Amino acid sequence: MPGWMGRVLRVDLGSGRTAYEPLDPRLARDYLGGRGLGARIVFDRVPPTQDPLGPGNLLVFAVGPLTGTRAPASGRFSLSTRSPLTGAIHDSNAGGTFGVRLKRCGLDALVVEGRAPHPVYLYVDGSGAEVRDARRLWGLDAPAATDALCGPGGPHRGAAALSIGPAGENLVRLAAIMVEGRRALARGGVGAVMGSKNLKAVVAAGLAPVEVADREAFDFVVYEALKLVRANPVTSRALPQFGTAVLVNLLNELGAYPTRNFLQSQFPQAGLASGEAVASTVLLRRAACHGCPIACARVIRGPEGEEEGPEYESIWALGANCGVSALGDIVAANRLCNRLGLDTISAGGTVACAMELYEAGAFSDGARFGDAEGQRRLLLGAARRDGPGAELAEGSLALAASRGAAELAMQVKGLELPAYDPRGMQGQGLAFATSNRGGCHLRANMLTCEVLGLPKMVDRFARSGKAGLLIVIQHSSAAMDSLVVCKFAGFALSDEHWARMLSAATGVDYATQDLQLVGERVYNLERLYNLRQGWGRERDTLPRRLLETPVQGGPAAGRVVELQPMLDEYYRFRGWDREGRPSPAKLKALGLETDGAATAGGAAGPPGPGGAAPGPAGPGVAPAGPARKGGA
Amino acid sequence: MLEEFQRIGRSLFQEGIVSSHGGNLSVRVGDRILITRRGSMLGHLKEGDVVETGVESDDWGITLASSEIGVHRAIYRATSGLAIVHAHPPHAVALSLLQDEIIPVDSEASYLLHRVPVVATEHTVGSAEVEKVVPQALQEYKIVMLRGHGSFAIGQFLEEAYQWTSVLETAARIIAILRGLGGEVKEYRRGSGEYRRW
Repeated sequence: MPGWMGRVLRVDLGSGRTAYEPLDPRLARDYLGGRGLGARIVFDRVPPTQDPLGPGNLLVFAVGPLTGTRAPASGRFSLSTRSPLTGAIHDSNAGGTFGVRLKRCGLDALVVEGRAPHPVYLYVDGSGAEVRDARRLWGLDAPAATDALCGPGGPHRGAAALSIGPAGENLVRLAAIMVEGRRALARGGVGAVMGSKNLKAVVAAGLAPVEVADREAFDFVVYEALKLVRANPVTSRALPQFGTAVLVNLLNELGAYPTRNFLQSQFPQAGLASGEAVASTVLLRRAACHGCPIACARVIRGPEGEEEGPEYESIWALGANCGVSALGDIVAANRLCNRLGLDTISAGGTVACAMELYEAGAFSDGARFGDAEGQRRLLLGAARRDGPGAELAEGSLALAASRGAAELAMQVKGLELPAYDPRGMQGQGLAFATSNRGGCHLRANMLTCEVLGLPKMVDRFARSGKAGLLIVIQHSSAAMDSLVVCKFAGFALSDEHWARMLSAATGVDYATQDLQLVGERVYNLERLYNLRQGWGRERDTLPRRLLETPVQGGPAAGRVVELQPMLDEYYRFRGWDREGRPSPAKLKALGLETDGAATAGGAAGPPGPGGAAPGPAGPGVAPAGPARKGGA
Repeated sequence: MLEEFQRIGRSLFQEGIVSSHGGNLSVRVGDRILITRRGSMLGHLKEGDVVETGVESDDWGITLASSEIGVHRAIYRATSGLAIVHAHPPHAVALSLLQDEIIPVDSEASYLLHRVPVVATEHTVGSAEVEKVVPQALQEYKIVMLRGHGSFAIGQFLEEAYQWTSVLETAARIIAILRGLGGEVKEYRRGSGEYRRW
């Protein structure tokens, strides 16, 4: 089974038992890995009635068939679970080297369930997993914890680790999982799921080689793909030179840079914290994830030495969205979030919401827009659940709703929006509204065609034609997340390249539209999960501000998102009914007819199973075999 | 949308990639197809020259649609394409009569296309055979040549499908020029021998 390793490792933290399971080749073929495999496992084993912070929720760490190969930007992995912030089926993915080391443990996925009686960490290598005591790590910042495990003095020197910080330990719904102390499985409060299991960290130390089916063909396609990555100005110049923050000035110029909780769409001081500003002031060098030719990460000079970041979304969330302009303040807030283990987008969005509530007289413990010190106080309070921070720890929607002002939370399905004002990018508005995991730019970023002109430029203010285009991009994104490869490589490469690399790596013939089909299957499965908990059309919407309040000035002046006509078109093109439920014919075409039949509010049928107990093994996973290591 | 059809149609005609009434264009919008009218002039498209019909089924629009509607539908059903450009690029058509594939030697087409397969059918217009072999090839490639007839290219936009068409014709013209000049081509690309496997 080249490309795949053919094994899933299950760990029950409650009993300490571990077990290998073979990966069903049909599941591998239909869902690839990463997000797709994770969605399948969560759909099958975590009912929507399961408390996301209960022991029955799963953490599915998954890699893909290209992970650990020479495919460009393929050193990523993903985590699937039920989000404690939104309740939606959820996945996050991250770079670094952890994913490659996990795959080299001979695994396609690591599935963690249950709750340990005391803080533990998980050590995984080629012979299995061990649950180890982590009481001495509990309370440490995330980078300190990974350093204690894999740093020069640690017991697993040279291995790769991910860890939660205090935010995850305190079950904060904005908590991220920090990967090697620098990258993040950021969104959806996934850090709180680890915290709820008393799982402080996971160490991956695998060294097994990753085989590909046709080495000669694979090397050739990779060679051709790298030529395009090097020839494309976004991947060969803009991202390497300025990092993701190259977008700051661009989006601001276009009037699509949300400012002060989306009250404005341009930030006059944006240039102070742009990619250009970072490059000319604090940048020391570039950094890259495993095997990535783009190297978009920034190593900068901080007050306490070298550190990584901040990325575009973090600069925006902690900067313009909170009215904070000084690069030093943004870097400090970013560092704080990384240490505490907070998702910078959701944390920034929640603080921005608190700032608007404060200025409206509805949250006396908040801070004014632009108050950097107040921002840091709120972030720290949220991570520790101290005083007013305890309210922020529940996310912007809960905070605003508790003040009777839910419309001030800039979120979709409970997930805080990222750094694009969709009033200046109509397709992005539809993308946000229809995202299965909520306010997110990574399910489909219409930035590519509405701003960057990739593969061709479309009118960003037009509604016409956006639905069809968005669907294709959502499918491509789901397929890339299942491979698991970086979206940035997609600026230069098409589905065709990924299909050819996948075919050569696995020996299974994939054409371009086969990848689209995988993406469509994953998207519809996630949709079914959300439908199963009664989420229909009413959830595919945007904050009222974006639908009803026109942009006051700049290039997008007078615009709102004209969502409903695009949404009607979107459902029709997807083969869904007016309420957003996939038709039986569509589900049959995707091989999901059984899943649809069991979906409440979906294609019809009773609610999914209730209770906290995990369901039986999914269709792709055989019964548990004997434990190879750990246990007791 | 008409403006986009006009822009691409005009370019195809002005570049000599289609004759006065040759070629056709379409885009897929959900379950509907917008396609050039049968007998329209791509270089001079006007109101009423783009007609609408179904991807899966006929309606009144079929009375006006291009005679290639069948292959357009089959392509949409079989691929992820959202736009199709069918043209008659003369140099590429000439090469299709001599060989079973077109392997570009110029840099642009090498990057973008690598290899363009040539498929052949006895009846080249509106036949069930064409509706089978062309979509099949487009599952693996973004542009394909139908021997002696012309090119079919897919994209997410008309402009993208047009780009593949234009790049192919330029590549074919360069190959034809080289053959006229004679002599051995000096290879500059590493691994170009692998392009046959693309």
